[in-house]
Amino acid sequence: MATIEKTRAEEALAANFAGVADKLPGGRAVAEARSSAIGTFGALGLPHRRIEEWKYSDLRNVLKDALPPAVGSAGAVSEAAIDTSLRQLARLDAIRIVFVDGVHRPELSEAIETRGIEVTPLAQALGKPGVGLMHDDLPGHAAVVALNTAYVTDGAVIKVSQGAKLARPVLLVFARTAAGSLVTTRNVISVAADAEATLIEAHVALASPKGQDNALTEITVGEGARVTHAKVVLSGAEAQHLGTWLVKVGQSASYRGFQATAETGFTRNTSFLTYTGEDAKADISGVFLARGNEHVDTTLVIDHAVPACESRELFKGVLDGRGRGVFQGKVIVRPDAQKSDGKQMAQALMLSEEAEFDSKPELEIFADDVVCGHGSTCAELDEDLLFYMRARGIDRETARALLIESFIAEATEKVEHEGLREALQALVIGSLQRGKV
Amino acid sequence: MLEIKNLHVKLEDEDKAILKGVDLVIPKGEVHAIMGPNGSGKSTLAYVIAGRDGYTVTDGDILWNGESILEMEPDERAAKGVFLAFQYPLELPGVATLTFLRTAANSVLKKRGLKEMTTPEFLKHVRAEAAKLGVTDEMLKRPLNVGFSGGEKKRMEILQMSVLAPTLAVLDETDSGLDIDAMRVVAQGVNALRGPERSMLLITHYQRLLDYIVPDKVHVMARGRILKTGPKELALELERTGYAGFVGETA
Repeated sequence: MATIEKTRAEEALAANFAGVADKLPGGRAVAEARSSAIGTFGALGLPHRRIEEWKYSDLRNVLKDALPPAVGSAGAVSEAAIDTSLRQLARLDAIRIVFVDGVHRPELSEAIETRGIEVTPLAQALGKPGVGLMHDDLPGHAAVVALNTAYVTDGAVIKVSQGAKLARPVLLVFARTAAGSLVTTRNVISVAADAEATLIEAHVALASPKGQDNALTEITVGEGARVTHAKVVLSGAEAQHLGTWLVKVGQSASYRGFQATAETGFTRNTSFLTYTGEDAKADISGVFLARGNEHVDTTLVIDHAVPACESRELFKGVLDGRGRGVFQGKVIVRPDAQKSDGKQMAQALMLSEEAEFDSKPELEIFADDVVCGHGSTCAELDEDLLFYMRARGIDRETARALLIESFIAEATEKVEHEGLREALQALVIGSLQRGKV
Repeated sequence: MLEIKNLHVKLEDEDKAILKGVDLVIPKGEVHAIMGPNGSGKSTLAYVIAGRDGYTVTDGDILWNGESILEMEPDERAAKGVFLAFQYPLELPGVATLTFLRTAANSVLKKRGLKEMTTPEFLKHVRAEAAKLGVTDEMLKRPLNVGFSGGEKKRMEILQMSVLAPTLAVLDETDSGLDIDAMRVVAQGVNALRGPERSMLLITHYQRLLDYIVPDKVHVMARGRILKTGPKELALELERTGYAGFVGETA
């Protein structure tokens, strides 16, 4: 391998580990996994634009400085502060589990008394024998996962038992207080056969707009289970969020993922979804807003590893200022995966001349009896529709807002849980209104 | 009273004159029809009254109740009572028809200095008007015009008109794409809105609509000007003779 000079951030990410290693949770096996991961990272370095998967989001260039890892508990945080950071999500009736600067905070979390669900903080779980950290080799993504494995401090280990139907959603809150720190979290979620659950991750900032997150969620959806999994990133104008989802969907199961990103300097959400059983359905959709110099990258790898599964993706971006949206959607249909049905669409609404949208769909189809399609559009606000509304007495600003609402609604309508859907819609629309100068 | 005086209009981005000196007066309470062949400038006139971008008025003026509206934004004109029923109503996915109607109604009420309606008041009002036009509750819940048939879209235009209660209604080819039954419903809706305080301008290609909405006056427009004005019988005459005589005349 050709040696490339390490950047300041790469050197710091590798070097900071030694200083915090003994403060990180887990037994010996975990410590070894961490140390091996930092070695992997050292060899790989940060992904950059010459790596195909990072063509539009050159992490080596974006991540100029590695912030010091947050370890140990932050000071007191009020529930009101958490509510404020969650905005419209705060009113959702949900089982709330809060992490501040990557550490579980029982005093801000609801005690789990619901039958059928078990939640353990990852830090605690890692102390037990037999609990390790997944270290899959994900194409183009190994460095990000390695950093997560090395630095992860906490997260939620959730088990939903067979046939359990959770009446209330679970809301995992990841709040950042510390100015300029790296927060690394991981959730390990399994939903057993025929269970139903709605799980939400909210990554929010309490104070500083600056910070770095590396947030990974593994989720296994059992046979016949139905899962809604939403993620909200509202991390701050100078924050950098690296998100990874690893989703495994079992036979006849239904998985509906939704990602809403706004008001975050740099976001890269990479999701890997693999079907492990036939006749399963998955939908990953979302809305992203970028303005100023914000950058939101949504990368999906949908793997039809087995026959007769359905995948749907619909992402809608609203780009203003010099905001940039990136969508990379790869759909793989393995040789035996006949009767696969995949559809993908990415659309951007451009509110300024300087905004940019890069969309790269990729279909890798090795089976012959499949239906797969993809599309991408990039458009400005429709002047004819604006005139139509204004001719009915609606002022320009309200008409614009209604048009943007109309544009994103198709994506938010994918969220089946009514309360969650309404909260997400209100949150996105609220965020758009905040952006007005 | 609507007074259009020597109105000259060209497209903003090209030097192509479309209206070449339109003069038209519609007194309060009267319904006038403008008939003319395709490309005569009828729809442009409707758009310019409503304030659409993309046109430049090079000469003349449009006065509504004695006040020039040319410098006003489209929503200000709507607040002054101007309403345009579109030839091709647009679809607005993701926005429920009721939400749209309510936003429009309250915007107009607010600009007219009137109190906004409460939700129950508004619902009662809209449902009563909708029932007259055969607009169902189900349609009101659907996104505006999405998946509506041509006739349903036109009825929705008339519903919006009755909710916004304009004093000047311009109906651009409201009959296009309608079968006789749909036209009857639309015409009933329009006739119900006729009144001493309301002026209307019907733009149409065919005489047919005027069997149902009988105008006080008929104007013939061709090549960007109004070439002939007469009583309602003029429409019947046009039906017999066609527009050939007007298209051929030099301006």
